Amino acid sequence: MTPGPWPLALRLATLAVVLAVAMVAAVRLGAVSLDTGAVLDALAGRGDPTMVTIVRELRLPRAVQAALVGAALAVSGATFQALLRNPLAEPYILGVSSGAAAGAVATVVTGWAARTVWALPAAAFAGATLSMLLVLRIALGVGRALDTRVLLLAGVVVSSFLAALIWLVLTFADIESVRSAIFWMMGSHAGATWRSVGTLGACLAPAFLVLLALARPLNLLAIGEPTAAYLGTPVERTKLVAFATATLLTAASVAMSGTIGFVGLVVPHAVRLVWGADNRALLPCAALLGAAFLVGADTIARTAAGATELPVGVVTALVGVPCFVWLLRRPVAA
Amino acid sequence: VFLSPSSHRATRRVSLLAVVLAAGTLFPACAPESPRGPDAAAARGAAGGAARDTAIRLIDDGGREIRLAGPARRVISLIPSATETLMALGATDRVVGRTRYDVAPELAAVASVGGGIGPSVEAIVALRPDLVLAWENDKRREVPNKLAALGVPVFSLRTEDTSDVFRNIANLGRLTARDSAATALAARLRRELDEVRRSVAGQPRPSVLYVVFNDPPMTAGPGTFIGQLIGVAGGRLAFDDVRELWPTVAMEEIVRRDPDVVVLPVGEFRSNAVAALRDRAGWRDVPAVRAGRVVTVPADLLSRPGPNLGAAARALRAALHPELAAGDAAPPAPRP
Repeated sequence: MTPGPWPLALRLATLAVVLAVAMVAAVRLGAVSLDTGAVLDALAGRGDPTMVTIVRELRLPRAVQAALVGAALAVSGATFQALLRNPLAEPYILGVSSGAAAGAVATVVTGWAARTVWALPAAAFAGATLSMLLVLRIALGVGRALDTRVLLLAGVVVSSFLAALIWLVLTFADIESVRSAIFWMMGSHAGATWRSVGTLGACLAPAFLVLLALARPLNLLAIGEPTAAYLGTPVERTKLVAFATATLLTAASVAMSGTIGFVGLVVPHAVRLVWGADNRALLPCAALLGAAFLVGADTIARTAAGATELPVGVVTALVGVPCFVWLLRRPVAA
Repeated sequence: VFLSPSSHRATRRVSLLAVVLAAGTLFPACAPESPRGPDAAAARGAAGGAARDTAIRLIDDGGREIRLAGPARRVISLIPSATETLMALGATDRVVGRTRYDVAPELAAVASVGGGIGPSVEAIVALRPDLVLAWENDKRREVPNKLAALGVPVFSLRTEDTSDVFRNIANLGRLTARDSAATALAARLRRELDEVRRSVAGQPRPSVLYVVFNDPPMTAGPGTFIGQLIGVAGGRLAFDDVRELWPTVAMEEIVRRDPDVVVLPVGEFRSNAVAALRDRAGWRDVPAVRAGRVVTVPADLLSRPGPNLGAAARALRAALHPELAAGDAAPPAPRP
């Protein structure tokens, strides 16, 4: 709750500029090299129709999707870390990634994913939501109030169970299914279209607003549940709503882009290290930084090895870990 | 049950991932190597004046109909064996995009669009193809769907057995208006296979284990072109009763079935594969490995089912029946 060194407006403006730079780079750079003039023409819909397609139908929706997913994972991670008072908390902690993967693998193995474009994201979202409900059900069944330690354990065991199911199914699946499933699980924004971006945005916007509205109660919960209750926070309701919203945020992202690690764990920590833990500032800052980080990582993934695309999760970790270690070792200003 | 899970180890995720990644390189038609287009010139000569400007309608291997206004002139092939087939049909100049696995000198100037399974859509679109040849995958069609949404015609091919190879040759000939070259190529391959089949008639038929991947052991089933070519070349499969195309088999089942010969595809990256197999726990207990009955075939011939089908059959015959191989143009001698 200590005020950061910079006023919030300045922090947000700075991060918005960083995000804007990342977005410009994402649209400007790609396997096909285009000069700035050609990119501007293509954005305006002028000039070579092929280039217009590349910029407006391939690069732009992909950059927007990376930004949305990055923001969602960072906000979701920040929320989980506050709720669980655990620095290792991350968006997938309640079994969302395994649930989504179980749904995705089911559609891949049955061939449904190939017949209907929306089958895989829909099933991944359903799987993520169901696994969250299962985790909450288990945790709520133990004791009278929602114990976050039990919740963590329930998330871990449900996750392990679903992962085991996935590998059981894939063991007996044909090689094409296995390959498709693994590619999906590695995470990628390559499938982005304006429709997927629109759907994702429509899911994410209300969830962002709900979590922003919960920022103050989350601050109080981070101190301790009895204190928060004493100060008038409806503790159980806040926890349930925050868990559910953060999980749905993650579920929607995973459904569109697969599991992308590291962003949701480390971006909130980075913001907290630099600017403090006040969730009212942390959540919007983490959203912008997460968006910029993932857009940048995806741009590197698309361009670093020519036409061969790297898995974006590889880039987030390879680039993010050194940055984060530097932040950790940085002398903390008093 | 010999089809054991490949995931009995603690690092199951890693090992399964390894299988899948390996599938990208070892699996038929993906291996990086120098492709052979034997007799490409002969096929080119037979092409004749087959060009015609009529519209083309054809059903691809996924059951989807493709319509082209005329013969394809700007083709991007995401399948190395299809690229080789196009070259053998004398249509090299129609190929404007390839994968990074196509390293034939004739294709050096052709742009790469990345891997065959996860190519750069952007790079594909920028080449303005009028036809993209893609893997038929009935599990997920992310790239083909995306290309179709952008108005790029996609023809997908599936290659499992030798009849698929002949169908692909005919289809590729049709798409590029090289029908007569395709007919000539198919006739040549049939002749070559017949020649190999005749030459081993009456010979003993050793039981063969073809090693697609060594850990966990994966072999070629009877429904694959490799399984069929082994039959043509005078062998029989040790696992001729499996339904899977590329079954993962338990090591103890390999020991139990005791194949007469272990066939190991060897490419530039696996040159010490025989020694590695001999040192490997499990494999070194297979009688054929212990007794040195391991023979090698060039991986590049066996991994790209296309115009080199006959050469692949001859390589297998040379491996299984070395006594017959004397007259071959390129006998792949088993390495020490």
